[in-house]
Amino acid sequence: MSTALNLHALLLLSDSALPLGSFAFSSGLESYLAHTKSSSSNKHFPAATTNSSKAAAFEVFLEQSISNVASTAIPYLLNAYHHPSYENLGALDNDFDASTPCTVARRASITQGRALLMVWERALRPTSQSQSADSGGRKASEALSTFATALKISKPDAHGLGLNGHFAPLFGLVCRALGLSEAEASYVFLLSHSKTVLSAAVRASVLGPYQSQAILAGTKLQGWLKGYVAREGRDEGCMRGGVEEAAVTIPVMDLWMGRHELLYSRIFNS
Amino acid sequence: MSNPFLTPPAKPGHGIIHLALLPPSTPRLRTASYQYPLKLVSPSPTRLEDETRCLVHTIYILTYGGGLVAGDSIDLTVTLEHTTRLILLTQGSTKLFKSPSRELVSKQRITVNLAPESALCYLSDPVQPFEHSCFEQSQIYNVTVPSFSAEHTASLCVLDWVSSGRPANGENWSFRHYGSRNEIYLCFPDGKHRLLLRDNIMLDDQHLEGSITDRMHGLAVFGTLVLYGPLCKALGQFFVDEFKALPRLGGRKWDSGSESGDEEADAAMIKRFARHRQGTIDGVLWSAVPLRGCVVVKFGAPTLEGARRWVRDMLLHEGSVVKNFGERALLCLR
Repeated sequence: MSTALNLHALLLLSDSALPLGSFAFSSGLESYLAHTKSSSSNKHFPAATTNSSKAAAFEVFLEQSISNVASTAIPYLLNAYHHPSYENLGALDNDFDASTPCTVARRASITQGRALLMVWERALRPTSQSQSADSGGRKASEALSTFATALKISKPDAHGLGLNGHFAPLFGLVCRALGLSEAEASYVFLLSHSKTVLSAAVRASVLGPYQSQAILAGTKLQGWLKGYVAREGRDEGCMRGGVEEAAVTIPVMDLWMGRHELLYSRIFNS
Repeated sequence: MSNPFLTPPAKPGHGIIHLALLPPSTPRLRTASYQYPLKLVSPSPTRLEDETRCLVHTIYILTYGGGLVAGDSIDLTVTLEHTTRLILLTQGSTKLFKSPSRELVSKQRITVNLAPESALCYLSDPVQPFEHSCFEQSQIYNVTVPSFSAEHTASLCVLDWVSSGRPANGENWSFRHYGSRNEIYLCFPDGKHRLLLRDNIMLDDQHLEGSITDRMHGLAVFGTLVLYGPLCKALGQFFVDEFKALPRLGGRKWDSGSESGDEEADAAMIKRFARHRQGTIDGVLWSAVPLRGCVVVKFGAPTLEGARRWVRDMLLHEGSVVKNFGERALLCLR
């Protein structure tokens, strides 16, 4: 795989215009703001009133959000990347679904996963087939196509379990099929997540557009991303590539995400 | 055929509980064996007062010193036969004492094998990690799916919660490492396993730049309640309905003026408002999620007592835990 093709694929996947509908999600930010804003009446949460304290509180949220996504989703992404087969993808899809006890997070993951599968089928597959040279990439491509077909006819069984189409394992396979490296795949996944949260922050008027861009370009964010990519990449080599070790590192995040449903008015889907 | 003269497990910290069913329908505690530092105490079983007249067994899981010293390892295997019911309790919070190094991790593993129509109620006291402690626990529930029908599965009502340590000693999530995993597997007649639910929390002081305290955002306790199976269906639905009925965030609180009088029509609504008010005073944050046939309730609160009161009030109000397991099941929530 030449670097030029690699770069092209990387730019495609990191593009915020990739039609996954990511702009509809705030990954718990909106709910977090509502919980901390109402703190004038709630003594348990410190209020962030001034602009600078707002931005500081947001940075804490951003780091924690990235950390939580890294520890819950990256193991699945990497496992799918390293073991590209339809059977494994099905197992990962089931396990990820079982490990996401939050309606809002599941909805966001499934919506983006299915959108990615659609983009794959309609746009990325022909390119990858003409370019992909290594056998892993071809296997990933086949697994994605089989999964896309199976998902269309999937019906829940007697226990209410069926195929879902979660985002992280599908993203890993798409990266594999497009010839990205393992570290690039994790990095671009976390970067896209950061962009989603930052863009939500701008629209929720927590930050101005330049402030947001400054955080995105800053060394702090780069440090977090590199750190978490390294943290999650380290488990590779054990039995299932660390999927069983995927864990929630910020438990409160699940509460905020889950309580997004309770917001009186909301602009985001999660 | 299991050996009636089962030798007690020789390894330290190992324990076996086997609740057997004597024909036609008498549950009997066949095995309750344990090794230091684990201790199991089984008071005499209680009989339910409803029409089922079901015999419910109780076992206290104790450790010498009320907790785990660095390097202790508990490994408990529980087997519940067809239609048997078991309450697991603890006596006070499980204390986790400090560990001299990050490498010395205390561990607790509980594996429960549930036959069709059996039921487990495990409403323990919270785990209380002291400063510098290192701890990992896992609760694995293997639910056998009956071959004739997917409906007559086992039932589970299990609570897993952790507190911030000893606030009086200035501890506030001051441990080194805490991990807790809850997994439910469906075991099919053909021998296949499928993960139904996994809830895995990992708090490590080296994972992020900030301290664990920063990650907990003022909460002093965080917990997960998992409900599964026919006996817990109504309770799960109750949590889901109550969650939907919570007052909207950022909306007007129309329910604050209780003098209007029209609420008197519905006693259940009045109780609900009272719970909401108490929950707001206690600062309880919670959510209930129905997924894959289970209901997962996550909650956090700035005080341990607030969380305990909230869980107890919810379970008492709905009433099916007391109905299906007896008053004893809620002892740890008193």
